[in-house]
Amino acid sequence: MSKSATLSKSSTLPDVTVLPQTPQLIALFTMIRDVKTQRGDFVFYSNRIIRMMVEEGLNHLPVKELEVSTPTDLAYKGLQFEGKICGVSIMRAGEAMEQGLRDCCRSVRIGKILIQRDEETADAKLFYEKLPADIKDRYVLLLDPMLATGGSAIMAVEVLLSKGVPANRILFLNLISSPEGIETFCKSCPGVKIITGFIDEGLNEKRFVVPGLGDFGDRYYCL
Amino acid sequence: MSGESEASASSSSLSATRSYLPPWSRPHIIGIGGSSGSGKTSVASQIIKALNVPWTVILAFDNFYRPLNPAQRQKAFANEYDFDAPEALDLDILVSVLSDLRQGKKVEIPTYSFSEHNRTNITTTIYGANVIILEGIFALFDPRIVEMLDLKVFVDTDLDVCMARRLRRDIVYRGRDLQGAMKQWFSFVKPNFERYVLPTMAAADIVVPRGLDNTVAIDMLIRHVQRTLTVKSRLHVEHLCQLNDEIKEEAVSDIDQWDNVTVLKQSPQVEAMHTIIFNRATSRDNFVFYFDRLVVLLIESAMDTLPYVTKEVATATGGEYIGLSPTMDVCAVEVLRAGACFETSLRKTLPDIAIGKILIQSNSRTGEPFLHYLKLPPQILDKYILLCDAQATTGAAAIMSIRVLLDHGVAEENICFVTYLADKKRSIKRLLTAYPMVKIVAGKIEDSFKRRFVDTRYFGT
Repeated sequence: MSKSATLSKSSTLPDVTVLPQTPQLIALFTMIRDVKTQRGDFVFYSNRIIRMMVEEGLNHLPVKELEVSTPTDLAYKGLQFEGKICGVSIMRAGEAMEQGLRDCCRSVRIGKILIQRDEETADAKLFYEKLPADIKDRYVLLLDPMLATGGSAIMAVEVLLSKGVPANRILFLNLISSPEGIETFCKSCPGVKIITGFIDEGLNEKRFVVPGLGDFGDRYYCL
Repeated sequence: MSGESEASASSSSLSATRSYLPPWSRPHIIGIGGSSGSGKTSVASQIIKALNVPWTVILAFDNFYRPLNPAQRQKAFANEYDFDAPEALDLDILVSVLSDLRQGKKVEIPTYSFSEHNRTNITTTIYGANVIILEGIFALFDPRIVEMLDLKVFVDTDLDVCMARRLRRDIVYRGRDLQGAMKQWFSFVKPNFERYVLPTMAAADIVVPRGLDNTVAIDMLIRHVQRTLTVKSRLHVEHLCQLNDEIKEEAVSDIDQWDNVTVLKQSPQVEAMHTIIFNRATSRDNFVFYFDRLVVLLIESAMDTLPYVTKEVATATGGEYIGLSPTMDVCAVEVLRAGACFETSLRKTLPDIAIGKILIQSNSRTGEPFLHYLKLPPQILDKYILLCDAQATTGAAAIMSIRVLLDHGVAEENICFVTYLADKKRSIKRLLTAYPMVKIVAGKIEDSFKRRFVDTRYFGT
């Protein structure tokens, strides 16, 4: 036991929450990072992490007090969910996180945003969006598993802001992020909360998160 | 040496650790002897029927015949082998089986085939018996056995009646001919009875003349056993309560902060889910949904209690990552019925997990918990066990289940008791008093719920 497991880098930014680095979470990350893990296992283990991310993300939503009577005839002072929510996935990889969201919020509405990198300029470009009509009245869980440069996430937030969603009602959920991506995102989108599973070492020359796990969408849908 | 024991004593936070003794750690053992054909088996069955308590076992001497060598086997087929002498029986095995049963251990009983005159390779497992009836002509013969019997009964039936019954059984059920059966009776059974069996009557507490026909004697016998069991049952309930009293309240006020106790972080979402689950007005549909959702968090949290080692993997970007990997396989055991509320979420989180089941029900009159049913996955020994129960109120079912797992060779530190709602003053305290190495993962610690309601709401019955 000379080497110990690598845990997420920490972040001092106020809007960033990193999932508690429990042994179980690290073991799940080890499974999905391993290049030898096949798609069936990759889907299964990433779904488990996503489920924990969603649970953590939902904790940032408001609740109000509620008193109920128990089946054993006691009064119990508890809490109640408050406010409408919706999910918005950045296609295609973000759609992989929808199941985890639905597992926690059964009939949640889900909007879609398609952003692709422009082949010539290498900049993010918005191709398509379909969002709930009343999105400005909802808390939005923005879903994208990997935060590399932050380009598409920032563009997606701009789309949401343009629809009238206040920044402090947007929660951005991602599995693995780069320190650069986190920094750029927080600078460009003040007030938006980020919930991430793991902050990695950095970006490589191809602008992939390292050590990362490769292309999440490819591994989840195709490879 | 003394330094070592001091160190181990102080490593446990409980100064006075007491182990839990389940009812099967001291089963009530009744021996019934008497001539072949005297009606011992019928008397034993009658007692079991009348007692109507779970885990009552008849242990027949027939299973303990010595395997025969070819020459002996040939004699046996010619009805010339003496099966009715004490030497024909492997009394040493019987003594060790009985002594293991008396200590609550799991035992394997051999099976003897009369058609092949040999021990078969099939064994029967006996575990968790509350009452054991040892039945056979030599039940009161071996002093080592007699010493272990709580009640010694001799069935004294007229030898002519015994012979008639014996002949009928040999011919109808054991495929012998009349001549052979008669030969056996006169050359072996009767002389051996007079020589070895009849004198054992002196060791008996009760002699039952005329066997099953003697209803007065049988009733007395049954009433006696019932009285003894009532006392035993009261002592068991008291013993469970004592596990609690031994430890002072102040010593465990922070029991939920102990290293081996994990309570789910009471985040706004978890708190809101509790409120839905606790609310009498919640629809069953919502109850099941939110309970399943919360249990996924519980199971993920329980998985954190496993032992892990570092594991280095290569990632698709060409990088390297040092992560973790659990060192043990996991296996679940549900304490029925409430433990089965975890099954959906267990299957969702760990799809191929092996699941064992233990049914423990408390007697509604005495409050004594009883082990009714037990089915554990094979190779449970090397596994890390998630022992699941939706609610732990008194802790009795959990304590008993852990005893069952330990009796099956599971190590105490490899058991994680996972429960949604645990009562701190009673269940957690008792559980850790009995088993300080067990890990506990709870969704919430709450002492105000005095009874179970989760399984009733979850299953709707």
